[in-house]
Amino acid sequence: MDNIAGSKSGLTWVTHISVAILVFLWLFPTVGLFVSSFRTADQIATSGWWKAMFPATQNLQLRAAAPETQTELGGLYVIKGNLFTEDRRDQTEISVFGISSRAIDAFRPGETAELREGGTITVAANGDYRMENTEPFKGKRGQRVFVTSDIPPEFTLGNYDTVLGKDVVKRLVVFAIAGLVFFVVLRVLFKDIAGPVAKAAPAVGGIGLILALAFTFGLSTGTVEGAQTTDSMSNAFFSTLTVTIPATIIPILVAAFAAYALAWMDFAGRAVLIAIIVGLLVVPLQLALIPLLKLHLSVGIGKGYLGVWLAHTGFGLPLAIYLLRNYMVGLPRDIIENAKVDGATDFQIFVKIILPLSFPALASFAIFQFLWTWNDLLVAKVFLIDATGETTVMTNAIVEMLGTRGGNWEILATAAFVSIAVPLGVFFAMQKYLVRGLLAGSVK
Amino acid sequence: MHPALLGLLTIVIGVSGCIGYFYGSNLLLDKVIFPARGPNIGRNINRANLIRPWLFLFPAIFALGLYLAYPVVETLRLSLTDRDAGGAFVGLQNYSQMFGEPKFWEALRNNFLWLLIVPAGATGFGLLAAQLTDRIRWGNLAKSLIFMPMAISFVGAGVIWKLVYEQRPVDVEQIGVLNAIWLGLGGAEPQTWLTIPLWNNFFLMIVLVWIQTGFAMVILSAALRGIPEETIEAAIIDGASPFQIFFKIKVPQIMGTIVVVWTTITLVVLKVFDIVFAMTNGQWETQVLANYMFDKLFRANDWGVGSASAMIIMLLVTPILVWNVRSVRKETQ
Amino acid sequence: MKHSLYAGATVLALTAGMAGAEQVTVFGPWLGPDQENVEDVLAAFAAASGHDVRYVGSDSFEQQIMVDAEAGSAPNVAIFPQPGLASDMASRGFLTPLAGGTGDWVRDNYAAGQSWVDLGTYADASGNNQHYGFFYKVDVKSLVWYSPENFEDAGYDVPTTMEELKELSDQIVADGETPWCIGLGSGGATGWPATDWVEDMMLRTQPPDVYDDWVSNEMPFTDPKVVAAIEEFGTFARNDSYVAGGASVVASTDFRDSPKGLFSSPPQCYLHRQASFIPAFFPEGTVVGEDADFFYFPAYAGKDLGSPVLGSGTLWAITNDSPAAHDLIGFLQTVEAHEIWMAKGGFLTPLKGVDSSKFADAPTAKMNDILLGATTFRFDGSDLMPGGVGAGSFWTGMVDYAGGKSAAEVAAEIQSSWDALK
Repeated sequence: MDNIAGSKSGLTWVTHISVAILVFLWLFPTVGLFVSSFRTADQIATSGWWKAMFPATQNLQLRAAAPETQTELGGLYVIKGNLFTEDRRDQTEISVFGISSRAIDAFRPGETAELREGGTITVAANGDYRMENTEPFKGKRGQRVFVTSDIPPEFTLGNYDTVLGKDVVKRLVVFAIAGLVFFVVLRVLFKDIAGPVAKAAPAVGGIGLILALAFTFGLSTGTVEGAQTTDSMSNAFFSTLTVTIPATIIPILVAAFAAYALAWMDFAGRAVLIAIIVGLLVVPLQLALIPLLKLHLSVGIGKGYLGVWLAHTGFGLPLAIYLLRNYMVGLPRDIIENAKVDGATDFQIFVKIILPLSFPALASFAIFQFLWTWNDLLVAKVFLIDATGETTVMTNAIVEMLGTRGGNWEILATAAFVSIAVPLGVFFAMQKYLVRGLLAGSVK
Repeated sequence: MHPALLGLLTIVIGVSGCIGYFYGSNLLLDKVIFPARGPNIGRNINRANLIRPWLFLFPAIFALGLYLAYPVVETLRLSLTDRDAGGAFVGLQNYSQMFGEPKFWEALRNNFLWLLIVPAGATGFGLLAAQLTDRIRWGNLAKSLIFMPMAISFVGAGVIWKLVYEQRPVDVEQIGVLNAIWLGLGGAEPQTWLTIPLWNNFFLMIVLVWIQTGFAMVILSAALRGIPEETIEAAIIDGASPFQIFFKIKVPQIMGTIVVVWTTITLVVLKVFDIVFAMTNGQWETQVLANYMFDKLFRANDWGVGSASAMIIMLLVTPILVWNVRSVRKETQ
Repeated sequence: MKHSLYAGATVLALTAGMAGAEQVTVFGPWLGPDQENVEDVLAAFAAASGHDVRYVGSDSFEQQIMVDAEAGSAPNVAIFPQPGLASDMASRGFLTPLAGGTGDWVRDNYAAGQSWVDLGTYADASGNNQHYGFFYKVDVKSLVWYSPENFEDAGYDVPTTMEELKELSDQIVADGETPWCIGLGSGGATGWPATDWVEDMMLRTQPPDVYDDWVSNEMPFTDPKVVAAIEEFGTFARNDSYVAGGASVVASTDFRDSPKGLFSSPPQCYLHRQASFIPAFFPEGTVVGEDADFFYFPAYAGKDLGSPVLGSGTLWAITNDSPAAHDLIGFLQTVEAHEIWMAKGGFLTPLKGVDSSKFADAPTAKMNDILLGATTFRFDGSDLMPGGVGAGSFWTGMVDYAGGKSAAEVAAEIQSSWDALK
């Protein structure tokens, strides 16, 4: 193939460019979410995320100090101050300003505008203003001033503070660096010592240190003021973990035994069973919602973690059995027969030989099931989430947020990114097994 | 108790329970019921070996029966009864009521659109990506980036694409990429992409194509690599162009795999729920069967029609089910 | 008087921390700012009673409460935005009747008490009428919100008749601006803001008894009077020059984001018709009465229908019986429970004897005036229709209408879904 491409260098270029375009298209939407999660609400609202590196023009509605702050100097009443500092904002350069909502760009900085109620206002480019009148300013509220100014690009961890709790990201980074350093130190120390303990020590020590730090110092230093209770994802994050891990491990165990029986044990009806499992592979789980919910209720499981674990186990089994059986059938026959000749029981063969050899298939199913349970919405909605609010999952938290925070992209993007960060990490770390599992499952 | 602790505890209990079951039941079988000693040793071993497979299979069969097989039957039963009338048998009344609803036909039409376009789109793009990335040095990196959306939840993808489709009034800077491009290309005013009837379905489908392309690519790329070199070399010697090689030599050889990929994605499409639920909730004529069913079950609280629509989904997957079972039967015989 | 004593006794019992502390779960539709308000009220209840109170809000309350009730995992107390849904649930046996005497208390202490009892009374599974719903927090819906300073800048006056309102809208268009911000988006409940529009229009084009016939479906949805009211809404919402962003964005704009256009710089719109709770969604720091104000959504001067007001209320019902749940309903019968939220704004109550100086602001008092000045008061019709219509096909139908379907077609679809429920 390479020689075709080599002989036509033009085609090679076309290939490179087409792949680059494809990758760009596929990556672009996710990058948008990622970038948006680090931008402030104002910035997101005023410019597209792809312009995040450039200053954005913003229209602000600011207010001068109230008339009660006016001072009198020889018959001239004056109110002065700075529009930005009074609004507790950073000072920026004003390009135009206005005093009526109908003409927000009527004046340049330094120009003087006539107020409708009498008097004048002068606004400087840095936001300093001075209002003058020969009569006292009346009313309760300060004069509205509309300014247009270029706001420099601004990135923040504030959204993560809102969604996860204050300082969580900073602390995670610090702890992770500490853990990594400890890992490297242990690696060097144990370099010359043999044995499994010494081999595992660096990794265990590193992760242990991270956990120890997290437990000692805590992850969050509190919640951000003004954050709505529904903004917090930390509960949902742990709930999702609680749903996911048992729902990944339990079906593997159950399926592994069944797959072994279907692959290596002789009994009547084996072929029929395999066919049934393949059939169940395509049954839409939508069918199961109501009957199973009713069943769970009548046996007293109700809605909760136990129910959702069982449901995920049931729904994950056909694929698990199918994948594992396909893999186990391919294991060399003589190993198993030799073991039998040596007097090993099926149970021993399974635990000592089949399980270790099947690790790649187990890993690939584990990844599938993990991704599927982590990303699930429907099963959690029906079997887990109830009105106590103790249990929610991140997908559901995001759907709720789409309702309450529809326009607050900074919160939405951050929450969504938090929820996809873990599966993305797992994906990139374990991609090899995922691909293997896909191939075992589909190519015949 | 903290949910994380509870989870940990369950993992321990669940895992030790599973191991305990398998270990204990084997022990029971070998040592107590049919001990491999005494006068009947031969018969006992044989009997134990007859029973053992079922010990291994029992938890799986039990769970499968309860969680997948029983619901099919129960849903069928529910679809023929009326709960308000105390669960009385009403024949096909739920179905005829459902067939009388325009929303159902809309959902069915949309589902067919999804069935036509998503598998075709994902398989097509996947094939393209597989073919192109196989030829270049950074192909593996490219592959894993295109594959990445596979790890993203449908809901997360919904948020990602909602940002792409976001619309702002005409005199305000657009923050959605699609509208920014649309205006950049001379579009008169920003569009609310998700509310334009019929077209909005395609904007939703793009999300699923985006997610599923990586899957198609990975499998098709493996299949492409499995094509014998000789067939391609022969074609080169005959002076075939790269396009001819691709369409006339390669594609026919991997047709089997393409069909598998196509049907797998078809299954995903039939069950698609989260994307529609999170992005439009079936409004603006984007209803699909799975969301229609959820609506019927939990909003209109009509289990009869809800179950009936679930049965329609079941009916639609049945051909794939039969085909899969037949091909596996062929293989195992 | 006897019943006030009764309520007083409840409070005493509560403060004494009678039965042991229990967990009370409360599930409602409020999220965001409203959630914080209701949590304050519940915190006061928790402090008074010693119970452990948990509130959860959901955007898809209507679906979730059904799932939970079916599942037997219902909360102790559910807060229904719609009597229709509560009545559905009562007929399925999911609700527990309120303690005896609650109805009498409401009759005696609420303005127009009997009507609030009637709205909370439904048939149970065996067809007997029982009092299930306790109304707490009432909203006036016939309000138009605007920014007084923007009106001042542009020299507009507050209209007092529908004719003037339409003239004002045309005037704003003629000035090169956009008069209205309308948003129907609301997650799983998308479409409901339009049903309020249609109901308000019904009350402004037809006498109240026609409205009642429509709500009870004695007059079908397909009646020309209903279609005309829908089209009346369309003159605003389907007019590109009237709506910020054009008619096409009406259905997809979130109702919570929609009023923000009033306050943007420059303003995207000048008028926003929405119920009394909407200030909770104004940009942070917006002061009602100064930055934002409202006027009564006026009636036609040319039609002699008086000044009708559309309102609604949330009702609290016990979905999972427990003594603590009854304690909570008892707590809601105290003046304190009403005054806590009154002080936080966006809260109206029919309870006589609350200290009106406790209202968060003068505007709320003005809302009460609108309520009192009504010649006709009608409860939100879609909330009274069966759940499948009022919280289903009416919503989706209005989304379809805003999207361009004809009013007659939409009305026919809604009617057929209603027929299916009978």
